[in-house]
Amino acid sequence: MPRTLRVIYSAFRMAMLHWMADPQWVIPNVIAPFVFTFVALTLFKEASGSFGLYAVLGGGMMGMWGNTLYSSGFAIEFEKWQGTLEEVVATPSNLLHVIAGRSISNALFGLVNMVAILLIASLGFRVPLGVANPILFALSIALTLLSVSALGLIFASAFVLTRSAQVFTNGLEFPIYVVSGSMFPIGLLPFWVHPASYTLGPTWGIEAIRMAASQGNVTLAFWLNVGVMLLITFAYVMVAAFLFKKVETKSRRDGTLVQA
Amino acid sequence: MSELNSQHGKASSDKAIVAKNLCKVFKVTKGILRRTKTQVEAVKDVSLEVNFGELFGLVGPNGAGKTTTIKLLTTMLIPTSGTATVLGLDIEKDVTKIREKIGIVLGGERGLYTRVSAVDNLRYFADLYGVPVSIRDKRIKELLQFMGLWDRARDRVETYSKGMKQRLHLARGLINDPQLVFMDEPTIGLDPEIAKETRKMIKELVETGKTILLTTHYMFEADELCKRVAIIRKGEIVALDTPSGLKKYVKDASVVEVEGFGMTDKEVARFRELPEVLAVSADLSENKQVLKIQTPKGSEIISEVQEILKNSRIYDLKIKEPTLEDAYLRLVEGSVK
Repeated sequence: MPRTLRVIYSAFRMAMLHWMADPQWVIPNVIAPFVFTFVALTLFKEASGSFGLYAVLGGGMMGMWGNTLYSSGFAIEFEKWQGTLEEVVATPSNLLHVIAGRSISNALFGLVNMVAILLIASLGFRVPLGVANPILFALSIALTLLSVSALGLIFASAFVLTRSAQVFTNGLEFPIYVVSGSMFPIGLLPFWVHPASYTLGPTWGIEAIRMAASQGNVTLAFWLNVGVMLLITFAYVMVAAFLFKKVETKSRRDGTLVQA
Repeated sequence: MSELNSQHGKASSDKAIVAKNLCKVFKVTKGILRRTKTQVEAVKDVSLEVNFGELFGLVGPNGAGKTTTIKLLTTMLIPTSGTATVLGLDIEKDVTKIREKIGIVLGGERGLYTRVSAVDNLRYFADLYGVPVSIRDKRIKELLQFMGLWDRARDRVETYSKGMKQRLHLARGLINDPQLVFMDEPTIGLDPEIAKETRKMIKELVETGKTILLTTHYMFEADELCKRVAIIRKGEIVALDTPSGLKKYVKDASVVEVEGFGMTDKEVARFRELPEVLAVSADLSENKQVLKIQTPKGSEIISEVQEILKNSRIYDLKIKEPTLEDAYLRLVEGSVK
């Protein structure tokens, strides 16, 4: 296995071991999206069309983003609490790869939440959840997961230097839900929000997921959404790598890594 | 133990560490409304060399600059000025190469993933250090056996005693089979028995061919373990010699040692003001307090001692030859002439 993948996998594995050791961390990440889905489905149970699916996928996206953002901030805080940040930074591995492994593991937990929400909606609210194209549906979810993880990495680089990552994670949670179209279709948002929406990978991802769920035939629009999301995700990774490098140099110069 | 013996060829340099005029200045911001920036010189002009296979001690009180020096040499910090090579590699340019070849052991109970097992801790760090998968598990087993932790290898670290955690720290510091190991106060906070056990482990590591740079603020520990010792005070190295060589700094003095009860900080301060007193140390925390006064006058100052301590109870008063601990005290108090 290439060195970078091995580090990402090892960090992923360590995060999984901690999730299993402390399963109560999952609770807030399940409750918020579940409540959102419950409220949306209760309010609009008479609505026709694909609204039910929209609400359910939105709830799932909330779980995925909430977990990723939380983990991005928490990954650094966690290392500080454990007193392991210095030991991890002192290894020859890139901190970006370590945080990437953690970020992916947490986004994956969000995916578990999405499955739970789909089951609740289907069994509890009788929402018709027939997925028109299951393969593309699964593919678009997997790619959106990576995009969400990459967005989390950008925030994580800033969290390396801050003393209060959790304040930022709390503050950033809802804006991304709204702007990415997880809560409402972007068309309902004011036009000045649209530029922000279209720079978010998950915006394109959730659109692709909905298309795969509702349209049997693969359309150009689906692949356009996937392609743009991949481009944005690549840009996120590049920006995150640049920021991590800058942040690491700054922390080595100022001695702020562990004190922060 | 075969895996623990250093397998790497020695670096091109004939010294494990060469530091020249290393300086580190931190900018500190004070105040909330009126923010003022000040500069703190944590390390000033530090120069030292460490030979291969040597156990080198860096000794000084809290805040003297020991940890900052270690962080500079382990590439965790960038020096403000000065240069250093570690295993022949430049600490500013060859960051990844240095990190691959060195080990770091930090003291204390933190620094481990306590919710997972010792094996999972070591496996994680083996992956981060790029230890080949083919030898990773064998090395983890060997290290845990060497540290006497194999029987509990699968238990969560949170169930370990302090001593076991410290041994796991040592194992983690050796996971990449480093040529050079930095140990930052590895016995801090440990009770005497566990600290003794840790020192024994450190001695055994040197016997396997490792080079170790160890920081401590216990002079007796440096005396027991180290071939050479550098004493650091306020960021500067004030002496560098063998433990016996350091004693020359106190050959001009004798030590008046007072055991008693009721001695106060105020009285200790009065001793420090006396012109014939070179250094004073006091342990006033226990019922049996101990005060040590270094002076070239020897028994001539006994009457003065009794006068200052007239309100305290004196159990015993001795004139002694100075020890290495006294040399350290003189050097860190800055009264060596």
